[in-house]
Amino acid sequence: MTSTYVYDSDQPRRPLATELTNLWAYRGLLKLLVTRDLTVRYKRSTLGVWWTLLNPLLTMTVLWIVFSQFFRFDVPGDVPYIVYLLSGILLITFFSQGVIATGSSIVNSASVLSKVYVPAEVFSVAASVAALVNFAISLVPLLAIQLIVGVGIPWTVLLVPIPAFFLLMLVAGLGLLIASAAVYFYDVLDLTAVLTQLVGYLTPTFYPISIVPERFLPLIYANPLYSYLAIFRGFMYEGVFAPTWTFVMMIGSAVIVLLLGVWVFTRSWKNLVVVL
Amino acid sequence: MSAVEAADVSLAYRLTRDRAGTMKEFAINFLKRNVKREEFWAVRDVSFSLNPGEVLGVIGPNGAGKSTLMKMVARVLPPTEGRMVVRGVVAPMIELGAGFNQEMSAYDNIVLYGTLLGRTPSHMRDRVDAISEWAELTDFIDVPIRSYSSGMMARLGFAVATDIEPDVLVVDEVLSVGDTAFQEKSKARIQYLIDTGAAVLFVSHDLATVKQMSNRVLWLDHGRMVMVGDPDEVVDAYARPA
Repeated sequence: MTSTYVYDSDQPRRPLATELTNLWAYRGLLKLLVTRDLTVRYKRSTLGVWWTLLNPLLTMTVLWIVFSQFFRFDVPGDVPYIVYLLSGILLITFFSQGVIATGSSIVNSASVLSKVYVPAEVFSVAASVAALVNFAISLVPLLAIQLIVGVGIPWTVLLVPIPAFFLLMLVAGLGLLIASAAVYFYDVLDLTAVLTQLVGYLTPTFYPISIVPERFLPLIYANPLYSYLAIFRGFMYEGVFAPTWTFVMMIGSAVIVLLLGVWVFTRSWKNLVVVL
Repeated sequence: MSAVEAADVSLAYRLTRDRAGTMKEFAINFLKRNVKREEFWAVRDVSFSLNPGEVLGVIGPNGAGKSTLMKMVARVLPPTEGRMVVRGVVAPMIELGAGFNQEMSAYDNIVLYGTLLGRTPSHMRDRVDAISEWAELTDFIDVPIRSYSSGMMARLGFAVATDIEPDVLVVDEVLSVGDTAFQEKSKARIQYLIDTGAAVLFVSHDLATVKQMSNRVLWLDHGRMVMVGDPDEVVDAYARPA
């Protein structure tokens, strides 16, 4: 008999520590959920799992055709526009898909959560991690394009996991916040879809920062995603470190948002299932 | 040490009509200090303790709070008041196949469901053969669950939940799965778990089974305990026309 598991409803919950312990205890489930997220989507298709690679590739082709024909910007760093564009789109997609998936994770798992005990945060984090894995996979075509157009691959590409990791923290924090709220107000999810889109346009993904009128610049710089993107582009193809302030912004926003998300989740978890 | 200890546990649901449907309504209500906190107490001040190898039958009319109590033992619902202590692995058989994913094969679902119940994926992969054989579904192991009948799904759910060798088994009205032969097989399996030290809580409207299987019976009505004790006495009192 395994008496190591003792459940005591009076046991207090310690923010962050409880979540991390739960995630560790359920790491097997976490892995299963992430794989499920990546594969189930394509289960009925003939090509199956190849779609995870094909999908970003096709999306990139479409974007490339659209943007190279209709918009043409001279972008900083002396690189072809396509590389600038795709690096921006990929990072923003990670952010918005991650936030939306994490935000709806608890509501979507209602049928399981109301019948089997599983810490709800496992589902949320699995959604964030799945977005990260999708992002990582989509870097493969981007790297290929960098080679083809002659930009090459600088050694700093090895540091790309740094902004990716902090963006994961930001996505998980924001997603957890939204997921807790979505249980009470379903509207939050629709609102999130619109807001992430807005944030996406406020981030210089497809336009260079030089076309932004001077008076709007503070707005761009205040957007934390600008910092993530600057760092990511620096590592990915420019081979440089972005300014120090962007690193401060990245780490600061990731830590603050994650703590905020966990705090809100801790305050509401007890009622989550009751409301579901 | 007892496997399950419930001390004055209560659970309150907020009724749907009291829940603001949109944020706008909530904001308006909140500003008017008008957020109604009308609560519905599904379970109120229930206490019991259960030792390993014991069986507690739970009876009562519809809406008595039986299922809610089961979910509290399964730690799905944290008690609003009171304290619940459960020692060991709990297998909730509340709705069989609750964790199944329609698009995935039975194989993947066995692994996923067992992992949801707290086992490791590698342990579950080792158990797949035994589980599918017991559920008599070996021939359909690679078929997506969406093509399963509800009976097949329930059998698979039962097989997985009992295969993890739980310390506490929570059974909510699921003993009527499958045909007569399969029901006998299920009962034998539960009996085996009891003999090897599992504590069982089960809800049933089948009073004969309750009498036969339980060591003690808890009668619930409107969320409160009416009677708890010897199976014959409690069942007879419950069945007696008021």
